[in-house]
Amino acid sequence: MAADNLQEEKPPLFPSWTWWYVLVTAWLLLLVVFFYLFTKTFS
Amino acid sequence: MSPLDWMVLIGTLTVIICYGVWKSRGQRNMESYFLDNQSMPWYIILLSIIGTQASAITFISAPGQAYTDGMRFVQYYFGLPLAMVVLCITFVPIFHKLKVYTAYEFLEQRFDLKTRTLASSLFLIQRGLSTGISICAPSIILSSLLGWNLYWTNMIMGGLLIIYTVAGGTRAVAYTQTFQLAIIFGGMFLAGWMVVHLLPADIGFKQALQVSGKMDKLNVIVTKFDWKDKYNIWSGVIGGFFLALSYFGTDQSQVGRYLTAKSIKESRMGLLMNGLVKVPMQFLILLIGALVFVFYLYFRAPIFFNEAQLARVHKTEQGPAMLKLEDQYNELGTLKQQQVKQLAAALETDNHTQIASAKKALQQTDDQSQVVRTQALSLIKASDPTADTNDTNYIFLHFVVNSLPKGLVGLLIAIIFLAAWGSIAAALNSLASTTVIDVYKRLYNEHASEDHYLKISKLWTLIWGVFCIVVAQFAGSLGSLIEVVNVLGSWFYGVILGIFMVAFYLKRVGGTATFWAAIIGEIVVLVIYWTGTVSFLWLNAIGCLLVVLLGWIFQYFVNTRRLSDSGLR
Repeated sequence: MAADNLQEEKPPLFPSWTWWYVLVTAWLLLLVVFFYLFTKTFS
Repeated sequence: MSPLDWMVLIGTLTVIICYGVWKSRGQRNMESYFLDNQSMPWYIILLSIIGTQASAITFISAPGQAYTDGMRFVQYYFGLPLAMVVLCITFVPIFHKLKVYTAYEFLEQRFDLKTRTLASSLFLIQRGLSTGISICAPSIILSSLLGWNLYWTNMIMGGLLIIYTVAGGTRAVAYTQTFQLAIIFGGMFLAGWMVVHLLPADIGFKQALQVSGKMDKLNVIVTKFDWKDKYNIWSGVIGGFFLALSYFGTDQSQVGRYLTAKSIKESRMGLLMNGLVKVPMQFLILLIGALVFVFYLYFRAPIFFNEAQLARVHKTEQGPAMLKLEDQYNELGTLKQQQVKQLAAALETDNHTQIASAKKALQQTDDQSQVVRTQALSLIKASDPTADTNDTNYIFLHFVVNSLPKGLVGLLIAIIFLAAWGSIAAALNSLASTTVIDVYKRLYNEHASEDHYLKISKLWTLIWGVFCIVVAQFAGSLGSLIEVVNVLGSWFYGVILGIFMVAFYLKRVGGTATFWAAIIGEIVVLVIYWTGTVSFLWLNAIGCLLVVLLGWIFQYFVNTRRLSDSGLR
C-alpha cells in the first residue's frame, strides 16, 4: 500500500510520469531517426 | 613519453588526489561516510552516475570498437533511457522512503534475511572480481604501449585513489568524479579535434565522415534480428533495458550514488538526465574511433596494434613469417593511402560512378589487408597460445601515443587513470557499504557506536581496495578483459534484478520462493552461458524472467503445502 502511494508522487518537471515516458520515447525515436539518416547520408 | 607529458600526467593525478582529500573533511558517522548526509544536488548525482559507469575501458575500448566494427555499439545503450523512467517510478522512492544505505536492505524488509544475504553476496562476488579486472584492463594496455611494469601500473591504477576513497567516502568519490569528468570530456574533445586536424589539409570533418561512411564505419543502426549478434537495435532496446534496470537499480555502486541526493526529486533528476545524455555521449566517443579509422587510411596502421605482443612474435620462430606479412600489409597500406585520396577526390566531384569505383577499389584493398591481418593473428596464436589476439583496446591509445603532440599525450594518459579511478572509487565505496551494512552490522555486530562503524567502514574500503589490486595482479592471463567484465556482470545482474522485480511487482510471492528461484535461476543462467546458446546480453533478460517465473511457481507450491499442513492439523 505504502509502495503504491509512493509511486503516485509527482515527477520532476512534468505533472505525470506519462510525460516522461513520452519525452524519453520521443527522444530515443529522434536519435534513432538521426542515426539512421546519419548512416544513410554517409554510406 | 616526453618530460612535458610526465609533468601533465603527474600534475593532473596529484591535483585530483589533493582535491579528493580536501573534500574528505567532516566524516563523522556512517551516514556522512556512505550517504554524505543526503545532501547532493541532481547535477552532482548525474555526473557521479556517469563517472561510475564510464570506466577507463569505456574511453579506450569504445573508439577501438568503432574502428573495427563501426558505430553500432551505441545501440547497446538504447534501453537505458526507458529504464531510467522505470527506476525513478519504482526503485528510487522506495529506497529513499525506507532510508536504506544499500539496495539489499530493502530485500530483508520485503522478504527475509536469507534473500538479502544472497543478493548482497552475489553483488560482492561480481563487483569485487570485476573491479579487480577493471584495474588490470587499462594497466595492461598502458604497460604494453609505454613499456611500464604491469605490477606497478596496477598498483598506481588501483592504489592512489584508495587515499581519498578511504578518507572521504561517498562525498570524496562524487566530487572527484565531477572534476575528473570535466577533464575527461575536455581531453576527449581535444583528441577528436586533433584527429581531424592531423588529416591532410584538404580533408575536413565532413570529408572524413564521408570516407568513414563509405567504409561502413558509421553504421549506427542495425535492424536485422539475430540472437547471437551482440549489437543490433533489438538486443540494444530489450537486452539493454534489462541490463540498465539491473545495473542502476540493483548494483550498489550505482544505487549508492543516487541515495546521496538531498531529495527523491534530485535523485530522479540525476537519473532521468542520465537517460537523456548517455546515448549522445556514447555516440560522440564512438565517432572519435570512426575518425581514427580514417586517420589510419591516410597514415599506415600497424598490422597489430599491440606492438609489444608483435615484438615478442619477432623473437620466436614465427618471426620471419611475421615480418613477411608485415611487408605485405605495409604495401597494401601504401595502396590504400593512394586509393583513399582518390575516393576523397571523387567525393568532391559528386560523380556517383567515380565514387562507387573508388570505394570498391579501397574496400577490396582493405579486404586484402584483413586477410593478411588474419594470417598474422594466426601466427601470434601459434607463437603464444595464451596471447590475446584482440587488439581493439590498443587502437585509440596507439593513436594517442604515436600521433598526438607532446603534453596532450600526458593528458590523455591521465584521462585513462581518472576514468578508471572514478568507477573504481565508486565500486570500493559500494563494496564497503554492502559489507558493513549487509554483513558486518546485520550479522555480527548490530549495536556498536557510530565511531566504531565509521572506522570499520574505512577499514573495509581499504581491504576491498587491496583485494581488487590483488585480483588485478592475477587477471592479466584471462584474455579479453572487457569481455570478461561484461560476461561476469551478465551472469549475476539478471538474477539480482529478478529478485527486485518479484519484490516490487509480485506482492504475494514470499522470501523462500524467491530465494530458491534465484538459486535455480543462477544455475540455469550459467548453464545457458556455457552452452553458448545466446549472446551474453540476453542473459540479463533471461535471468530476470526466470526468477520472476520460478518465484511465482514456487510460491504456488508453498501455498499448497501450507494449505495441506493446516488441513492436516
